Amino acid sequence: MAAPDDARMDLPQGTLDLLILKVIGLGPLHGYAIAQRLEQISRGVVDVPQGSLYPALHRLENRGLLEAEWKDSETGRQAKFYRLTRRGRTQLEAETASWKRLADAVGLILRATPEEAR
Amino acid sequence: MSWWRRLGDRGRLERELSAELADHIERHVADLVAAGVGESEARRRARLALGGVEQVKEACRDERGTRWLEDFSSDLRYAGRGLRQRPAFAAVAVLSLALGIGANTALFSIVDSLMRRSLPVREPERLVLLEGEWTNLIWEQIRDRQHELFDGAVAWSGADFDLAAGGEEKPVNGLFVSGSFFEVLGVPARLGRTILPQDDRRHSGTEGLVAVLSDGFWKRHYGGDPGVVGRTLHLNRAAFMIVGVAPPGFVGPEVGESFDVAVPIAAYPILQPPLDGLDDRNFWWLEVVGRRKPGQTLAGVTDALRAVQAPIRAATLPPRQTAEQLAGYLREPFQVIPAAAGTSVLRDRYRRPLFTILAVAFLVLLVACANVANLQLARGNERQHEFRLRLALGASRWRVARQLLTESILIAGLGAILGLAFALWGSRLLVRNFSSSGTLALDLPVDAGVLLFTGAVAVLTALLFGTLPACRAGRSDAEGAWREPARGAAGGSVGASNALIVVQVAISLVLLVAAGLFLRTLAAITNRELGFRSEGVLVVKLYAWQSGIALDQFVPLADRIRASVVELPGVASAGLSDVTPISGSSWREEFEIPGTGRGREQAFVHIVTRGWLSVYGTPLLAGRDILDSDHAESRPVALINRAFARTFFGDKDPLGQTIRTTGIYLAPMEVVGVVEDAVYRDLREDHAPTIYVPFAQGMKNVTAPQASLSIRAAAGPPSRLTSAVVAAIARIDPRVTLRCRTLSDQIDAALVRERLVAMLSGFFGALALMLAAIGLYGVTSHAVARRRGEIGVRMALGADAPRVVRMVLGRVLGFVLLGVLAGSAVSAWASRFVTSLLYGLEPGDPLTIAGAASLLFAITLLAAYLPARRAARIDPAKVLRES
Repeated sequence: MAAPDDARMDLPQGTLDLLILKVIGLGPLHGYAIAQRLEQISRGVVDVPQGSLYPALHRLENRGLLEAEWKDSETGRQAKFYRLTRRGRTQLEAETASWKRLADAVGLILRATPEEAR
Repeated sequence: MSWWRRLGDRGRLERELSAELADHIERHVADLVAAGVGESEARRRARLALGGVEQVKEACRDERGTRWLEDFSSDLRYAGRGLRQRPAFAAVAVLSLALGIGANTALFSIVDSLMRRSLPVREPERLVLLEGEWTNLIWEQIRDRQHELFDGAVAWSGADFDLAAGGEEKPVNGLFVSGSFFEVLGVPARLGRTILPQDDRRHSGTEGLVAVLSDGFWKRHYGGDPGVVGRTLHLNRAAFMIVGVAPPGFVGPEVGESFDVAVPIAAYPILQPPLDGLDDRNFWWLEVVGRRKPGQTLAGVTDALRAVQAPIRAATLPPRQTAEQLAGYLREPFQVIPAAAGTSVLRDRYRRPLFTILAVAFLVLLVACANVANLQLARGNERQHEFRLRLALGASRWRVARQLLTESILIAGLGAILGLAFALWGSRLLVRNFSSSGTLALDLPVDAGVLLFTGAVAVLTALLFGTLPACRAGRSDAEGAWREPARGAAGGSVGASNALIVVQVAISLVLLVAAGLFLRTLAAITNRELGFRSEGVLVVKLYAWQSGIALDQFVPLADRIRASVVELPGVASAGLSDVTPISGSSWREEFEIPGTGRGREQAFVHIVTRGWLSVYGTPLLAGRDILDSDHAESRPVALINRAFARTFFGDKDPLGQTIRTTGIYLAPMEVVGVVEDAVYRDLREDHAPTIYVPFAQGMKNVTAPQASLSIRAAAGPPSRLTSAVVAAIARIDPRVTLRCRTLSDQIDAALVRERLVAMLSGFFGALALMLAAIGLYGVTSHAVARRRGEIGVRMALGADAPRVVRMVLGRVLGFVLLGVLAGSAVSAWASRFVTSLLYGLEPGDPLTIAGAASLLFAITLLAAYLPARRAARIDPAKVLRES
């Protein structure tokens, strides 16, 4: 179920790469599928502009975190499938861990009560 | 994928990018259609969602990291097309930069190899030179201590050896080296072996007299024959066994000199018999270099040497010295300096002229830059419309400026490539000219240093002449893009271009003044009153010591030679002397004149026979010439020159006066004649007091049986006499070694430096003048083109042709005048730095500056007049219709 438009959020800086790595980590995908998967998984809360998806993919490929291959897709047409490299997987794990630490820390701070702050 | 691979695969990457994005859209469209949206609406939404295929593509391209290179290469192609469309501009720009860059590169490579490049030996940075020249005895003291003082030490001295066995000499460049020379320097033999310590022993080494050839001599003289080892080579008539060949690239320890044959120091008594090279405590002839131990500092070496200074000095005290002189000898401290780049007398001799020419070449490059900048600015005006259009279409200012900078880099790059070719040719030509005196052997490879220098100069010039036009283009105003391609809309760059004219004219004037000063110096020296006639004289040096002819036999032998040469057809007169004018040799003697109460004075000495003065055409002013009756046993007499008479006798009649030399050589002499002043040693010197002594009397007191026979030809070039003279001397005694050269060649050789500096500065001055003319022509042409409308209107309102010409010229010439004034001031100031290179004129010579300024003014006036006249031919009716 999609969230209403005004509830959609822009992605924080730098998180698009992490999300792409995560999605592709579940299995090789082509660009359109990645866009759809991002939308589905985030249940439409996060707004990923399709225009910035491709530059991000190319950037990750150039950095050696992804590798790509043209092969036949389910429709029978050739498509460019992206896959995580070993470096990409390491990067994904490292970034996931640091994101979690940050999220936990931010969560702790936001949950703080006046007593704790004293 | 690395970025250069991505650059190489650009075509494939582009195709894949298009396919990928197309695939995305097709899939989105299919999904939308499946959800019930109409085909064309689905396509529209898919495009919208992606946000514009071209923009996404651009963003993806940016991610490749090769964007700047792609832009650069497309800019380069665009710039190349632009240059091809304007061949005249391209040719002028590239050629003037090529000359400027080429001149700088050529001089850099010479300065580099003369001043900086390390010797091709092992760890040259560890070599240190013991400053000064040393006697063999001092060297032996150091040699015996070399392992406590250094990691080895070497000594050497250059010398000429003669391959011929009498008659006209076949000289080779010899090198006396210590036994450990090759070993300590780390220079292995390419063939056979090098000279070893056991070769360098008094009274010949274990294998007799041995010699090592240089690679160049081996190839030149033996055709690179590998069987040369073990063969015999005669040097000064002594038989040496060739034991090896030095490696290619090693031409000796002195920069600018190259050796042909190296022999041990111990062979000195055999090669140069009259001089006692090994034991004379007053004969300072060896250079000494040590190798620092690892970790030893320069100060460490100095300390170690000074610690042993006292015993070394005490063991080598020179004879015939006063107590005061001996104390000075003992005290004088040893001093070492780094010697990684070898040693060279040329360095000091050519440092000032080389740096002067380097400065001149740099100024030429500046003029060329100003020129190209001005042409670029003018082009920029024409291209305002293009720049505006590009800005209006969304190009950033930086992007437009970068396009123009790329053009500049292309021009500078082409100039640098062409300049490198000029430099290759020019630097070799220069070295050949330097070495007409037979002394310069410089290796000039195009190495990384030279290429780096050329590259740096090219980038510097591109920035110098490209920045201003690029900034100007970047500041163009997009608003005007749709207006007419405006004439006169670019007022801003007129100021910059006029400033450039001022700078260019000023620098050109400095170069012209330099050319004027050096050309006039050369003229002043070559035209100076010598006191003798230099044309038509052949000088034959006679060496008898190699063949063991004793001095008392030599004097009558030389006289017989003179008598027979005078009889030869075509010979007008001939005379013997110990030294000849401007030969590099001189003899100075201390003397006093009894009864005057004056202390010791110094004068040059010429030892001459009858006929010598008439060969040189130096007139006798009073008294008599030297006669045959002035022989060894007769009363000692002397002639003096006018300067001597004026300085020491004043108004008194010098004839009959007595001169007594206080040195060890000459007896008291009666003055019997006075001759006109003549140049003795150096063309730049004023006439100095000179004494002429009869040959037979003076030669009693020289050390070596050698003399010069000067021969005046009756007519025609004196070199034609050479073979007849050589044959005549061989008939009298075939053992005498001869070196023949005309007096004019001898004087020319002394002027190499002056001629070279004059030639180069003249060339660069002419170049600067030409560039200034081209620059002014270009700027005036563009000014006329820009103001066509205005001129047309003025003419329609009644201005006649001369008035238009005056108007156009007036604006330009104001700036030229400003440049001339600035240039004059700078010249007057800067010429002080070359005072020591000038002769016969003052540094800020007003006549030279005025002449150069007038020439420059006249040429630029002409250059500006041509477009001005074209302006006067504008048809007002046509112009008015156009606007």
